[in-house]
Amino acid sequence: MGEKLSAVEAELYDRQIRLWGIESQEKLRAADVLLIGVRALGAEIAKNILLSGINSLTILDDRTVTEEEQPRNFLLSKTSVGKKIAEEVLLKAQMLNPLVKISADTDCPPSKDVSYFKKFTIIVATGIKPDLLLKIDKICRSEKIKLIFGDAFGMFGYSVSDFGKHTYYEDQIKLIGKKRKHDGSDKTSVKVKGEINYPELNKVIILPNTKQSADSIKKSKRRNELFYAMLALMEFKNKHGRIPNIETKKDDIESLEEIKKEIFELYQVDDSKSKITKEIFEVIFGEVIPVCAALGGVIAQEVIKAVSNKEVPINNVFLFDPITYDGKEETVGV
Amino acid sequence: MCLAADVPLIESGTSGYSGQVELIKKGVTQCYECQPKPPQKTYPGCTIRNTPSEPVHCIVWAKHLFNQLFGEDDPDQDVSPDTEDPEAKGEDDDHTVTEAGNIKRTSTHQWAQEIDYDPPQLFDKFFKTDIEYLLKMENLWKTRKAPAPLSWNEATFHAGDAMNDDENDIKAFEMKVWPISKCAKVFSETVSVLKKELQGKNFLVWDKDDKSGMDFVTACANIRASIFSIPNKSRFEIKSIAGNIIPAIATANAMIAGLVVLYAFRVLAGEYDRCPSIYLRAKSIHSKFILAADKQITKANPVCYVCSPKPFVNIFVNTEQMSVKELENEVLKKHLNMVAPDAVLDGKGIVVISSEEGETEANDNKKLKEIGIVDGSILKCDDFLQNYELTVHVNHYEAKEKEDPLFKVVANPEDLKAKEMTNGNGTATEEKKQEQESNEDDVMIVDRHQDGDIEDDPQEGSSSKKRKINPKDEDDDLCIIDD
Repeated sequence: MGEKLSAVEAELYDRQIRLWGIESQEKLRAADVLLIGVRALGAEIAKNILLSGINSLTILDDRTVTEEEQPRNFLLSKTSVGKKIAEEVLLKAQMLNPLVKISADTDCPPSKDVSYFKKFTIIVATGIKPDLLLKIDKICRSEKIKLIFGDAFGMFGYSVSDFGKHTYYEDQIKLIGKKRKHDGSDKTSVKVKGEINYPELNKVIILPNTKQSADSIKKSKRRNELFYAMLALMEFKNKHGRIPNIETKKDDIESLEEIKKEIFELYQVDDSKSKITKEIFEVIFGEVIPVCAALGGVIAQEVIKAVSNKEVPINNVFLFDPITYDGKEETVGV
Repeated sequence: MCLAADVPLIESGTSGYSGQVELIKKGVTQCYECQPKPPQKTYPGCTIRNTPSEPVHCIVWAKHLFNQLFGEDDPDQDVSPDTEDPEAKGEDDDHTVTEAGNIKRTSTHQWAQEIDYDPPQLFDKFFKTDIEYLLKMENLWKTRKAPAPLSWNEATFHAGDAMNDDENDIKAFEMKVWPISKCAKVFSETVSVLKKELQGKNFLVWDKDDKSGMDFVTACANIRASIFSIPNKSRFEIKSIAGNIIPAIATANAMIAGLVVLYAFRVLAGEYDRCPSIYLRAKSIHSKFILAADKQITKANPVCYVCSPKPFVNIFVNTEQMSVKELENEVLKKHLNMVAPDAVLDGKGIVVISSEEGETEANDNKKLKEIGIVDGSILKCDDFLQNYELTVHVNHYEAKEKEDPLFKVVANPEDLKAKEMTNGNGTATEEKKQEQESNEDDVMIVDRHQDGDIEDDPQEGSSSKKRKINPKDEDDDLCIIDD
């Protein structure tokens, strides 16, 4: 298949072409996407990027489907329990868009090396440990592959992007002349080019108890403190090898509080003034599907921006507020 | 309906990269009507028929032409020159033109059938004869560039603009502006196809996704645009305008759908005050917000004519000219969204309008004044279907200038007065424009996506003044995700 859109594709993608233009659609058409982790959040991301009309999607996940997660993942069916999740999502994923080549890979993500990753345009990772994330990021930077990572914890969710040296185009509405008219005829759309230099994730995700250099920590007075909650959850996974569990809620919250103290020490944050209270840690348990849907929408939109070079992408952390439902960008490590 | 039944409603929508979620709960939050909304975009009939100046005018005209030739008869969609155009008449009313115009008014549909939809004849009528006729209305062209009639022969022999005719090249077919010779060719081909489609049917319904109908409109809009020296557009662009397409994407829908469910949880828990409106914005370098929630719920407008405990509204109408039927259709139904209103003249107990058939038809053509509705009258209106009672305070008002709306509806007349004072001599103020909704016969309604509304607002998720991104009657393009 060439890069030119067929009549069928033009028809199928008509509405989104109206939004982001045919050039963007052609770039999507050429994109090969790797999705690591296809649990509730991964399934939402998969759905959105399949519908956007990419060339291929590879789903890398070595886990088997558990009984609890099956009803929460719309790509699975009742017979999926006990089988490889990457293979079990294929059927329904393909039904979302027959034009995209979809494949499953049931290997364990840490076993993959540079020769595997370099085949892709962009890598979308969910549910992996921070050390693996940093390893993949190194590869992505040397091979000029875009990377976005995200996770949802209960009502809380976030994503972190490394699109390397990223150029983008944005349509800005400008006024023609000085006088405003009310019929809109005084406005014109101008294509504006922009560039963002993403910092490597080693400088963004700096956790306690690692060999990472704390020198890269830049003090930011107005830091969105949900960023520290994000780091605490990452460190929790490092420390316990699992995510917080509702059955051990009390202990897990205690552990998160301890981790928070370590992080605040590292980042020199005054705990007494912090907004990261127990209230936040209370609501980070379980998989909340509508949060996965919203965050999956945000992450997939970033994938589309990264691939199409259209519109301003998030630079570089996205934080979904579990209490207010605000979704904000936070620039870290620059 | 939800207000009447006191059921909470989570209202939501997306448009491109943007979207919003909003809770409407009677007595707690503001309702859909609490803030005045901008009127639908309308184009006066004479602009469409006589003096187009923008591509959209030609596109609306081309859609009307489709309906005149193949669609259901609608006198409001006439495509021939409008001799009643006040601008064309000039100082000493030109009788000859007016009369000639009236004679020509045989049904376009009928005439087209008589000539068996012969493309060259149709072409010459719409793009040559009619334009020549327009040129005779000299007043129109004193301040405008006069149109240039185009005959079938000229159009088809347009030299030098050959186009790659490979229709499989989607990009070229959709994205490039067709030369006039191509438009003429498409006109001829689509007329033949549509003529066949019409056989055995009463009429065709235009649909943006029907290839022939869309090709026809593209060709006709561009031919007309050329005649009036208006820039031509690609089929893709014309489809957006003609089909009133509000692009919807899976990602924005997913984000908004997720938030709707999260709010549904809170509503079920009775936590209404934890559901302020949330806006999804396209990311820009100037803003850190992607999802921006208001700080608190927006309280209901106490003088809202829909959700306040005793809804009350002021109408400004010409009581000497407006008929009871017009009051019912244009003011009560179209503007105030009543379905089957009853109206009683307060103090006198006269039933002016009844939702029961056969009760008040005798009043229909009477002027308001004749039936006793004058300045200061109060009408008690009741829409049984929506369990909605509204007190209407009538004010006599006369539209003075051409630009003035024929009537105005204002919740709180003090607002209007204050604005008028600051604006001097009561010329058309912003407020009036917002309230404007004309009931002229020759006004066509073209709903367009209100682009730019969100981008225009420099504030971040704190203002209650933000307008809806989705007008009520959007087409179904919003719901694109279905598994």
